[in-house]
Amino acid sequence: MARVKLTEYKAKQLLYHALGKKYLGTPATPEGYQMPHNGPFVLKVDQGIKGRMKKGLVELEIQKDKLPDALMRLSKKGYSQFIIEPMVKHDPSQERYLSLERTREGIVVRYAKVGGIDIESMKDRVEEVILNSKFEYRNPKQAPNSNDQITQKISEELAVPINFMHQLLNFFERQYISFLEINPLVVKQNTSPLRGTPLRKRRIKSPLTRGVDFDVESKDGVFILDLAVEVDSTAEFFTKTWTSADIVEDSVKSPEELAIKKLNDQSQAALSFTLLNSEGLLWVLLSGGGASITIADEAYNMGFGKELANYGEYSGNPNDDETYEYTCNLIDSMMKSSRRRLMLIIGGGVANFTDIGKTFKGVIKALEKNKKRLKKKEIKIFVRRGGPNQKNGLKLMEKWLRENDMYGIVAGPELPLHEIMKLAINSSKKHA
Amino acid sequence: MLNIQKIRSQKQSIIALGSHIPILQSILDFDYLAGKEGPSVIAIIASGRKNVRLFWGEKDVLIPVYPTLAHLPASVKNEITLFLNLTSGRRVLSSTVELLDSLPNLLGGALFAENVPEKHSIEIFNKIKPGSRIKSGMTSGQFIVGPASVGLMIPGHLKLGAIAGTDAEQLMDSHVFEPGSVAVFSSSGGMTGELIRLVTTVQKRISFSLSFGGDRFPILTPVEAFLAAEHDPQTKHIVYFGELGGYDEYELVDLIKQKKVTKPIITYIGGTISAMFEKPPQFGHAKAMASRGEETAQAKTKALKSVGVKAAQSFEEFIDFVKKIKIKDNIPLPDGNPHVKRALRLLEGGLKNDLPYEGSTERSEGRDVQKVLSKMQQRTHALFMNSISQDKDGSVEIVGEEMLSMATKRSFGHIVGSMLLGRQLKSKDTAEFIELIMKLLVDHGPYVSGAINTMIAARAGKDLVSSLASGLLTIGPRFGGAINQAAQHWLEGVAESIDPDEYVERSAKQNKRISGIGHRKYRVDTPDPRVNVILTFAKKLNKSPYTLFAKSIEAVTTAKKANLILNVDGAIAAVLLDVLSQKEKISPEELQELINIEFFNALFVLSRSVGFTAHYLDQRRKDEGLFRLSPKEVGFAE
Repeated sequence: MARVKLTEYKAKQLLYHALGKKYLGTPATPEGYQMPHNGPFVLKVDQGIKGRMKKGLVELEIQKDKLPDALMRLSKKGYSQFIIEPMVKHDPSQERYLSLERTREGIVVRYAKVGGIDIESMKDRVEEVILNSKFEYRNPKQAPNSNDQITQKISEELAVPINFMHQLLNFFERQYISFLEINPLVVKQNTSPLRGTPLRKRRIKSPLTRGVDFDVESKDGVFILDLAVEVDSTAEFFTKTWTSADIVEDSVKSPEELAIKKLNDQSQAALSFTLLNSEGLLWVLLSGGGASITIADEAYNMGFGKELANYGEYSGNPNDDETYEYTCNLIDSMMKSSRRRLMLIIGGGVANFTDIGKTFKGVIKALEKNKKRLKKKEIKIFVRRGGPNQKNGLKLMEKWLRENDMYGIVAGPELPLHEIMKLAINSSKKHA
Repeated sequence: MLNIQKIRSQKQSIIALGSHIPILQSILDFDYLAGKEGPSVIAIIASGRKNVRLFWGEKDVLIPVYPTLAHLPASVKNEITLFLNLTSGRRVLSSTVELLDSLPNLLGGALFAENVPEKHSIEIFNKIKPGSRIKSGMTSGQFIVGPASVGLMIPGHLKLGAIAGTDAEQLMDSHVFEPGSVAVFSSSGGMTGELIRLVTTVQKRISFSLSFGGDRFPILTPVEAFLAAEHDPQTKHIVYFGELGGYDEYELVDLIKQKKVTKPIITYIGGTISAMFEKPPQFGHAKAMASRGEETAQAKTKALKSVGVKAAQSFEEFIDFVKKIKIKDNIPLPDGNPHVKRALRLLEGGLKNDLPYEGSTERSEGRDVQKVLSKMQQRTHALFMNSISQDKDGSVEIVGEEMLSMATKRSFGHIVGSMLLGRQLKSKDTAEFIELIMKLLVDHGPYVSGAINTMIAARAGKDLVSSLASGLLTIGPRFGGAINQAAQHWLEGVAESIDPDEYVERSAKQNKRISGIGHRKYRVDTPDPRVNVILTFAKKLNKSPYTLFAKSIEAVTTAKKANLILNVDGAIAAVLLDVLSQKEKISPEELQELINIEFFNALFVLSRSVGFTAHYLDQRRKDEGLFRLSPKEVGFAE
């Protein structure tokens, strides 16, 4: 679901291929890497982080023998995925900015004759134009349309070949990209912006690059220094060029978070789980995108935001095996807390097609399996849910909770949605 | 543009793409409980079967299934006004485009699937936006809700999707049969259900409700929904659950400023909790992520408040706003409803006043509704469905007619024809022709394969049923079973309006015999007298395209070889096709269906059974003992 970031390595590999260039970068981890050339190199953290340069997550002009040290320095900051690329020396005046974003109205192109790490402070110099959505480049012999005029203008302004613009836009469409940003885009020479003009096939020797051979990879004088690409995760089936393995993992995840992510990847239903505060008081097992937000909001609105241990939800009618696995992982996370008397809120709105009896069967099975541990920690459980087969599901849940002395409350839609969080918080105040 | 009043003012017929039984059943339950005459779902596109069995109230009902849109009869195509696309996210774009291009009277539809690429949503959006080209176009009032939407609901009139729930009890509890004046929207399907319940619990009723779906680019935008509510004369209030992420609420602010939306709005924008996260997190819905300050719940709430929207700071305040909606037709709360009692005690006294969870036991609608509901909850599917006969009032009814009255008043041809078609014949001519065929096919001498097998079995001492079965089991592509195949040829030929020379040439090239053409015995100069009798019948008809086509094929084939004449099978098939289409008004699609189920061969089987039975009885009377061939009569091939 949703927009996800490709690793810069994968994004560049795909883009260079689309541009007919060879990509000389290589991925690296703290454990090692393959070195393709002699250097000097740039070493960057490749975990979808914005403003890397200012955060000190980029090392410039590293010679081959210094790479292991540089890698060590960045690893110590808590990162695990890197990219090594040939160093492209250039003058700041050669930096440009170019981004594409998919919107309902068309593709928004933002560009500027300036670029680099301070682009945020030069917003007024960024031009914005919209290409209407049916723009995929056809036979160049066809009559030019308004999109052609716009791309023509951009290519002239940035001094990049028109072919580069066309190839970039086609790449954007074919790879189902949602957002693409090149910053900086380095342009080292004035190329002919006219469409159809053959590119000059000569080796570029800029005094600044010391003539290392990767320069050959940009006959047109256009260098993509930093690239950020967000793709639409639902399009994996249609492109087949990137997979979920190429998607950036933004933060260090707990084993339980990883297990639930894996569960989600294998399921028709949607299951998510994020740990917020492993020492929090309020643990939630929620269903439904909107209802889960409402219940979590209530904790925040009551001033208990910091006590919220996790956020997550399941929806789309998961089966009882899936809710069992999900609940087991949630309980494992809870058991790692040093606190006792934790509150577990099992909540959700009035479902449309999720079977409450079936999903609760899995939850109860997981509670039963972890009965002893839960009792030891004096967990209290608060339930509010509605939907198909709710009577059955809620009765089973009430019976189990009462028998095992964990009953906070079990309620159907007669209890307002947010009240379940309120009841749990108020009950915890009395215990404390 | 979504036009609720237009949808409300006419009967709606739905086509479902893909089959999701609980959702389809819930639509039928809605229709039934709303007191409609029949199901609003009139066709399903799915593979593997011809019908899906659902409940209509307590009874079974069959909803026709077609493998592709191309298989829909023209009448059904014209009747469809709405679609419900239940296919997977991968197939949504291609299937929706196909629908839009092939159904002439569509008002709109809903997309259920999650995981539709945003690029595909935009493509569909562009396809239906005003001014774009659609082949056979949706008319004004067009809309598509979704993707990832539970659909659209207009109380008592339309349930297009899972919206408001999938079990009958839930529909009852949400009072979706009583129209009111509050419009309810949300991206979230779950919250749509929740809000419908909330509004009806506090004694208001819904004017219409829909869920946009949580994707980044819903095809029907929130703005469009607000405008639809503004223009809907029944809607007096709008209740909206929004979420962090996106800029829809700012567009709403603009609409309010421009006085394009003037009706009172109550809203809660979920996602204040997002402030607790270090990085903007991705919540349940694709859209629910605030990467910029203006996209947070807090900022949007503030902007809406500034233009007079009742934008609640908490869900509690939101409920309070909804309770205070002033409507003349407030519905009184039922006394003694344990739900309400419990909710009040919980809210007032907290946990110490808790009552055990009861489930719903009483409803405001009273005993009758409760009775209907409990019957619906106990219903079970029949093991078989049939349209031929049933017990009724102590006697047997055959295709809708009491059996004794049928036996005394109707011809045998009428009874056979009606039963085989599964409905009463419309024309006496059809009855007469079927009777003629039955007579003509009754026997064709003892020399034919089926008769011989019957006689051999009889002489081997087998009983009546075994001997008859032995004869019947001989019927197939080379003996007696050619009528069906011939009907296929004539139907195809007329549908393609192909030149007879070309048709014959094509069959020859494919090395295929044309069934219904050729005879061992009869030739052009010595025609089969039965064929003449059959063809004479066609003269009774105003038009006889199938007979004419069969004759034109014969003209081509007899020019090649004298015995390639139109035979009995071919003539029966041709005239029967003409009779059925002229006199019984059966469409070419339905004729194809009759061919597929071997209707045309059935007449031969029935009639010839008389002949085989006669040969069996005859052999038993003569009782010559076991039949055996001599080595002379069976050669040995080296």
